[in-house]
Amino acid sequence: MCGIVGYIGKSSAIPILIDALKKLEYRGYDSAGIAVLNLNKLKVYKIRGRIKDLEKILPDLESHIGVGHTRWSTHGRPNDINAHPHTSGNIAVVHNGIIENYQKLKEKLLIEKKYKFVSETDTEVIAHLINYYYNGNLVESVKNALSELEGSYAIAVICKDSPDLIVAARKDSPLIVGVGENENFVASDIPAVLKYTKKIIYLDDYDIAIIKKDGIEFFNNGNPITKEINTVEWDEKAAEKAGYDHFMLKEIHEQPTSVFETLRGRISELDGTVNLDIKLAPDQVIELNKIEIIACGTSYNAALVGKYLFEILAGIPTTIEYASEFRYSNPILDVKALVIAITQSGETADTLAAIREAKSYQCKTLAITNVVGSTITREMSDVLYTRAGPEIGVAATKTFTAQLASLYLLAIYIGKIRYKLNTEQSKQLLINLKKVSGQIQKILEEENIQKIQECASEFANSKDYFFIGRHINYPIALEGALKLKEISYIHAEGYPAGELKHGPIALISEGVPVVAIATQGPTYEKIISNIKEVKARDACVIAIAYTSDTEIEKYVDIVLRIPDTHYLLSPILSTVVLQLLAYYTAKERNCNIDKPKNLAKSVTVE
Amino acid sequence: MKAVILAAGEGLRCRPLTLTRSKVMLPVANKPIIEHVINACRENNIKDIILVVGYKKEKIMDYFKNGIDFGVNITYVHQKKALGTAHAILFAEKLIDNEFIVLNGDNLVDEKAISDLLKNKSGDVSILTTIREKACGYGVIIKENDKLKIIEKPHHEISRMINTGMYVFSPVVFSEIKDTPISNKGDYAITDTIQQMIQKGYNVKAISTDATWMDAIYSWNLLNINSILLERCKEMDIKGLIEKNVVLKGKVIIGEDTIIHSGCYIAGPVVIGKNCEIGPNVTILPCTTIGNNVTLRSFIEISNSIIMSNVRLGSNSFVSNSVIGCNNNIGDHFIVETKKDLYIEMYGLLHHADEIGTVIGDGNEIGSNVLIRAGKMIETNCKIESGNIINTDLPSNSIVI
Repeated sequence: MCGIVGYIGKSSAIPILIDALKKLEYRGYDSAGIAVLNLNKLKVYKIRGRIKDLEKILPDLESHIGVGHTRWSTHGRPNDINAHPHTSGNIAVVHNGIIENYQKLKEKLLIEKKYKFVSETDTEVIAHLINYYYNGNLVESVKNALSELEGSYAIAVICKDSPDLIVAARKDSPLIVGVGENENFVASDIPAVLKYTKKIIYLDDYDIAIIKKDGIEFFNNGNPITKEINTVEWDEKAAEKAGYDHFMLKEIHEQPTSVFETLRGRISELDGTVNLDIKLAPDQVIELNKIEIIACGTSYNAALVGKYLFEILAGIPTTIEYASEFRYSNPILDVKALVIAITQSGETADTLAAIREAKSYQCKTLAITNVVGSTITREMSDVLYTRAGPEIGVAATKTFTAQLASLYLLAIYIGKIRYKLNTEQSKQLLINLKKVSGQIQKILEEENIQKIQECASEFANSKDYFFIGRHINYPIALEGALKLKEISYIHAEGYPAGELKHGPIALISEGVPVVAIATQGPTYEKIISNIKEVKARDACVIAIAYTSDTEIEKYVDIVLRIPDTHYLLSPILSTVVLQLLAYYTAKERNCNIDKPKNLAKSVTVE
Repeated sequence: MKAVILAAGEGLRCRPLTLTRSKVMLPVANKPIIEHVINACRENNIKDIILVVGYKKEKIMDYFKNGIDFGVNITYVHQKKALGTAHAILFAEKLIDNEFIVLNGDNLVDEKAISDLLKNKSGDVSILTTIREKACGYGVIIKENDKLKIIEKPHHEISRMINTGMYVFSPVVFSEIKDTPISNKGDYAITDTIQQMIQKGYNVKAISTDATWMDAIYSWNLLNINSILLERCKEMDIKGLIEKNVVLKGKVIIGEDTIIHSGCYIAGPVVIGKNCEIGPNVTILPCTTIGNNVTLRSFIEISNSIIMSNVRLGSNSFVSNSVIGCNNNIGDHFIVETKKDLYIEMYGLLHHADEIGTVIGDGNEIGSNVLIRAGKMIETNCKIESGNIINTDLPSNSIVI
C-alpha cells in the first residue's frame, strides 16, 4: 500500500503536496518524495523516512504543478533511490500498485540501451516505458505505456514539456480526482484533498484523467467520457477511522485480520511445518546455544513471551534485555548465539544502537518488525515481517499480537528443527494457532465488549490498578498495565502473581482493582491462591479466564472470558481483552487515546 | 446521486447465522451480500454511499473501512434502535440535499436493477417492483382507482408485483417521514410513509424490472443465491498452490496461499478463499463456496454448501446443502443428512425448504462421529461431544454429552 498525490493550480504546489501526503501517511510512511516543475525544470526530492523528513530537505520553490508519494514497501527496500517519484528523461511518475510483468518490460527496455535502471522498483519501468513512447504528446505516450502493463496501478505523471497537465490513471488500485477552483487534485484517497475541496471524482479501472488547472478530461479505452462529481461530507478525521471513534479501537478490531495476515502462507498443517522464508539455515539452528532478545516498550513484553516460547518449544536458553540497557550489560554472546530484535517501526533508536553493539560479537541476527525495509532490516541478516499493516494509534495493539504470532511461528520453526517438538506436537500448536484469528473475532463480539466496557467504567476512577499473572501470563500482566497507563494515565503495575506477597501486597487495600490473568495451565492452582491472597485484603479481582472455566467465579468479582486454547497461545487472546479494558477506561476518562501525552509512535532518540 | 443503504437490521429469520453478524454480512460467493449491492451501485456511478448501521456494526465497518478499496466513499450513520426503515432513512437527512436512492443491504441486486430504476424514475417517489410467481411473504403493490397501494405481506395472492424495497426519493420525503405515525408493529415503516404520500397526492410511480433481485428470507435461501452467483462467475482464477494429481473442472476460483493437496477433485463452480488447506483426496462439488483459513482434511465430500472462514472439518466427513458459519471446529466422520421438501420450525411456525442439510452458526466445537439430521440447526458456541446424533435444534451455548 502506498499513497500518491498530485496538484496543479493557482497555489504553491509544494505545501499542498506535503499536506496531502501527511493525510495519506496511514497508507505507508517508510519513504516519501515529490517532483515539481520549477522555471521549466523538473525537480525531484525524495528521501527514506516520513513526510516530516522530506519536509526538511525541501527548498522554498515556486511551483504550480507537482506529484508526491508516500511509500510502504512490499518489494524493494525503502531508501532514497527506491523512493518515488521515478524519472526517465523529463518525465516523473508516482505509482501505487504492483507491476507483474516489470521484469519482462525491463529486459525489453534494456535492449534499447537508452535507459539506465537505478532502482529496484517496478515503478521505474513505467517511467522508462512512457519515455520510450514519448513523441511530444504525454497523454498518448502514457496510454501506450499502460497498454503494456500487467498488474495493478494508480499513477500520476508529469513531464517538463507539458507544464500545464498531470496525467493520472488507475487499474485495481484506488485513485480519485479532487475538483477545485482554478486548481485540481489527484490522490489515492479522499482525506488527502478534503481540506481543499469536497468535490470528488472517482476513477474506474482503465480510466485516464488529464488534469489541468481549469479542467479535467477523462478517457476510458481511448474514448472520451464524462464522470460524475460527488460531493463528500466527511470531516477529514472520521474518514480515516472508518466509522470508529479512535484509531486504537479500529486497530483492535483489525486484529483478526492482522493475525491472519501474519500467519498467512506460513503454516502447513498437514505435515506440521512452518515456512518462514528466512536465511537462518537448519544446521545453524541446531548449533544455537543461546537466544538474546532486544526490545523496548510493548515489544519488550512480546519478547518476554518469546523467552517462554523459545525455552519451552525450542529448548534454547533465552535472555531478554531492554535495548537501552543492553549495551551497558556486558552481553555474553558468541557466533552460536542468535540475537532477535523486536521493533514495530524498525526505527527505534535504542534498539538500533543495541543491535549494532550485538553484531560486534559475530552472532546471528534476526529482526521482527512491521515495516518492510526499515533501518533495522538492513542491519540484520534476517527479517521476519509481522505484516500487520500501518498502525496509527500510538498505543500498540495489532502490532503486538502480530509480534506474538511471529514469535510462535519462529519458536515452532526452531523447535521442530532441533527435535524439541515432534511433528504431532507442532501440528497441535499450529492447528490451535490457526484458530486464533477466529477466536479474537469471538472476543470482539458485542456481549463480550459490553462486559469489558462495564468493568472499565466501574473502575475508571481508581487511582491504582494491579495486573497479575504467572508463567507465560506474566508478560501479559505487564502489557495490560502498560496499555492502561499509556492511554488512561492511571497508575498501573504488572507483577508475577507469586511476587505480590514479597512486597507489593502492602499496596493492596479495599476496592483496589486487581486484574488476574488466570487461564488454565501449569500455574492455574497457584494463581487461584494468589487471587485468594488479594481477596483477603478486600481487593476487587477481575479475572481473565477460559470460557469453559466454571471454577473461577467462586473466587473473583468479575470474569472476562476468552475462548479455550492451548495454554501457550492464550496470551494473544488475553491481550485483546486487556487492550479493550484500557481503551474503554481511557474513553471513560476522556483521555486523548490516539495521541497520549508525552508519547510518540516511533521513538527515534536514545 | 447518493445512495442510502439500510444495513442496521438483524435478520431474525436468518438465524442462527445472524446471531453474530447482521444479515447484510452473510457471504454469498465469498462476498457479503451488501458488497454485491455496493458493487452494483458503483457500476451505476453511485459512489457516495451512506450506510445506516446498527446491529453488529463493527463487522461492517471492519470489512468496508471508508470504502476506498471498493471504489466508493462510505459514510456510516448509526441507528441505535431498530425502529423501522423510515426511521433509518431519517438518519441520512443531514447528508442529503438532492434526489437519492434507497436500497436494502440484504437484498442482492445487480447493476441492471439499479439502472432500470434510475432510467425510469420520476416524481417524488419511484418504487422498483418485480414479478414473483409466489408473492406471499413479500410486500406487494396493487393499483386501485389508478392509485398505487402497498400491501405488506398479504396472506392471499392478490398481486404478483412485489416491492423490492428499492426507491428513489426526493428530499421532500424527510418531512413526510416525520409525519408518519407509528405502525401497529411499533416501528416506522417507509411503506407507511409512501402510502401516506400517495394519499396526499404526491407523484408516486412504480417501475418494474426483470433484473436480478434476490432476497434471502431464510438462511437456507443463501444456497440458492450462492449457486446463481457462482454460475455467473466469469473466469478461472487460481492463485494458490495446486499439487499434482488434482482435478479442477469447470469454473474454479482459488485464493492466494491456499494449498490443494494431491488427489482432490473439484468440480466448479466453486470458490475457495485465501490460506486454506484442502486435502489430500477431498471432493468439492458444484456450487460450493469456501471462505478464508479453512482446513478440510482428507476424504471429505462437500456439495452445494457455504463454508465460511476459519472452519476446520475432520476427515471422512460429508456435507451437502448446508451452511456452516465461521470459527467452527468439527471432528472426523461428520455427516449431515439431507432431505427434500422439509418443513422447518422457527418461532413456532413451519417454513418450507426445498432441500436442506443443516445450518450451523459460529464458534461451535463438534467432536468426531457426529450426525446431524436434516434440517436441524445449531446456533453458536455449542459443544457437541463425539458420537452424538443431533435430532433437535440446539440453542446457543448448548453442551451435548
